[in-house]
Amino acid sequence: MLFNSLSFVLFLVIVLALYYSKIFNWTGKKRMLLLSSYVFYGMWNPPLVILLWISTIVDWTAGKRLAVEDNQKKRKIWLLLSMFVNLGFLAFFKYGDFLLENFVVVMNSIGIDFKARPMDIILPMGISFYTFQTMSYTIDMYKRKIEPARTFLDFALYVTFFPQLVAGPIVRAKDLITQFYEEKKATTNQFIWGLFLLTIGLFQKVVMADTLLADTSDAVFGSSKLLHGIDAWIGTIAFSGQIFFDFAGYSTCAIGIALILGIILPDNFRYPYASLGFSDLWKRWHISLSSWLKDYLYIPLGGNRHGITRMYVALMLTMLLGGLWHGAAWTFMVWGGLHGTYLILERLQRRYLPFKITKWNGIFLAFITFSCVNITWVFFRAREFKTAWNMIKSMFYMQTDGEKILSSFDILKVSVVIAILFLCHWVMRNTSMKEVSLKTSPYVLGLVWAIMTFLIIIAQGSGEQFIYFQF
Amino acid sequence: MKLKLTLIVALTITAITTISWESYWRSQGYEPNLNDNKEIWATQRARVDKATTDDILTIGSSRIYFDIQLDEWQRTTGVKPIQLASQGTTPLPIFRDIVENTNFSGTIIVGVTPGLFFSTTYPEAFIWKRGIVKNNYFHKRTYAQKLNFYLGLPLEENLVFMSGDEEKLEDDVDLKSILRRCRFGNRTGKKDFLYYNFGDLSRDRNMKMTKRTTSDTSFANKIKANWKAILTSGDIPPPDKKSTMEYFLKDAKVFTERGGNLILLRCPSSGFMRGGEAKFLPRQDFWEDLVQQSNLPAYHFEDYEQFKNLNCPEWSHLSAEDATFFTAELAKIMLKDGVITNHKTN
Repeated sequence: MLFNSLSFVLFLVIVLALYYSKIFNWTGKKRMLLLSSYVFYGMWNPPLVILLWISTIVDWTAGKRLAVEDNQKKRKIWLLLSMFVNLGFLAFFKYGDFLLENFVVVMNSIGIDFKARPMDIILPMGISFYTFQTMSYTIDMYKRKIEPARTFLDFALYVTFFPQLVAGPIVRAKDLITQFYEEKKATTNQFIWGLFLLTIGLFQKVVMADTLLADTSDAVFGSSKLLHGIDAWIGTIAFSGQIFFDFAGYSTCAIGIALILGIILPDNFRYPYASLGFSDLWKRWHISLSSWLKDYLYIPLGGNRHGITRMYVALMLTMLLGGLWHGAAWTFMVWGGLHGTYLILERLQRRYLPFKITKWNGIFLAFITFSCVNITWVFFRAREFKTAWNMIKSMFYMQTDGEKILSSFDILKVSVVIAILFLCHWVMRNTSMKEVSLKTSPYVLGLVWAIMTFLIIIAQGSGEQFIYFQF
Repeated sequence: MKLKLTLIVALTITAITTISWESYWRSQGYEPNLNDNKEIWATQRARVDKATTDDILTIGSSRIYFDIQLDEWQRTTGVKPIQLASQGTTPLPIFRDIVENTNFSGTIIVGVTPGLFFSTTYPEAFIWKRGIVKNNYFHKRTYAQKLNFYLGLPLEENLVFMSGDEEKLEDDVDLKSILRRCRFGNRTGKKDFLYYNFGDLSRDRNMKMTKRTTSDTSFANKIKANWKAILTSGDIPPPDKKSTMEYFLKDAKVFTERGGNLILLRCPSSGFMRGGEAKFLPRQDFWEDLVQQSNLPAYHFEDYEQFKNLNCPEWSHLSAEDATFFTAELAKIMLKDGVITNHKTN
């Protein structure tokens, strides 16, 4: 079920009516939320709910055993079982075809004539999100960082909580399960603020991403022609805006919906396009994933504890795997590799060419960071290397007779939207929406809210899926 | 933080602006209309899986879509056809899907619009992909999508501003369409083809030409100008009669061998369109060859005195009134010929 759909409106109204009615006690409400979450997921493809159940049962059992087991060997076996099941799901459903394709290429390259029919496996929506979330529970249990969930219901709801089930934020057990222990009810302010966040999220998705940017980005990246430099740049920045609004929109909706239920989810985006460098970027973009990768991949790989070279290797491996997390294609690995390279270069710069960031050079540095990020988006969005390479050639004017496929209005529209996006991120980078709204007159805030709602209504939207669902 | 006041202000302004928006479009002559999209197509396609040998499907392009009036057909024959025709689309991939993925063995009337039917079998071609998109949507649609469709119907039927068509029509009123109409300069050097909505759709996918198209000559002329621009643009590739015929005849053979009843229909066109079709897709070379090779019952409007001089207000489709007449007469002719069965109870 998509947040930007009528079925979700109906679903949310029913869930809220049941949640705030006096029919259920807190346990009953949690059961209702769990069942609703399965309905939310099952409305897409019912049989795939079974994967959620398996993941839930395996990790609940592993967590329970890890809580009482002292034998280190046995503890490791329980951890490995959890990782085997979750990563096995990912390997089979997400990377099955990719692994097979590459196996065929390797076989053929060593002279063995091997052909394989693609498995055409359906990719369960949000599998990368919920598997990472449940794995964090068992890993934290293994490291004895957290207490086990008190009841199976609390744990199952943690795995399946519908607002963040299919596209995050990837919430840690200590931040979410504990909230289920006592009855939650949103205050009036929380409820209204949750609705406001839901509106902002929908505005980002329906108006900004789908209405203003998606067509331009799709036209450019869907073109088989060598494009004019301006078209390539505009298509790239359009995608840059689209993916931000799409994904941040989802996260904002998720946070808002949870807040309406009185549950607090962590921020997932903090104005990333005004980042001052790439370390800053990863503290602002998809925060829940980057912190997951840091805690469960980068640090176990050694982090910065074993010298500079080992740190760079850990950094690069983390970013490469982070790229692969997004999709089963080499283009995503290149995207991750570019980010890994940026992070290494930034550390080298800090070491050998340090300079102070002031308010004068800050915006320039933010713009450079944003531009470099845009180049990586080319590999993220292009379906194949040929398209990506053609785009890069066009962007850097390595071929001069590129075709013009975008209208002057499209160019103007995307340029204005992205310029406003960048400036808004710059202005907001050290503050938050909440802080700004506290200083704003309720009439002005109400007007802004109304404008967003009105634009969502007249944009209508065709219920486009969120980009991150496919990851 | 005075959030209650904020919410009241937001709700009030939203209500005022939304009502004003709806009133504005109504004052411009717009009326609520269902969106002709893949969702509504899929609901009809789903009926094929349960259809019996008594049922009739119509497939093809916009002509059979506008020209066969479902209620009228039912009045004459006792059976309401399942309408699967689709604007600007070749029927070939839709027909193949029915042949390969259903057991349907009733009657299929295939609308043959020469420029589309004989165009291409290239899977990436625009007119081919449109059919594939609909087929794929039908086979993959989720329960949530089905629910969204049914929840959206009353809104589309009652609110003008909900008419954002996936066809990207020039007179749609959703935000994206309004922005699309902002044009300055011609950077790409390409001509824009401007498609307008000239049909009213009902839940059973009965398409009827709007009154405005028949009464407002300047509007009809805008549509004609677009047809002319397309036909004279030089962008249309030459027809690929060989591969399209082969493709169709293969499926026709499978369908008729399993007991299906297949009928070919050439609906009226007029003016510049009819002239262009006669010149570039002559009847003898295309239609007659198809009829001869397929050996199927076939109906060409030029062969019937009552249809010969029907005038299409925008050259390609019949007005609602003429479509009703055409449907009733055609059904009677087919009944008389015995190619369809009369299921009327009285």
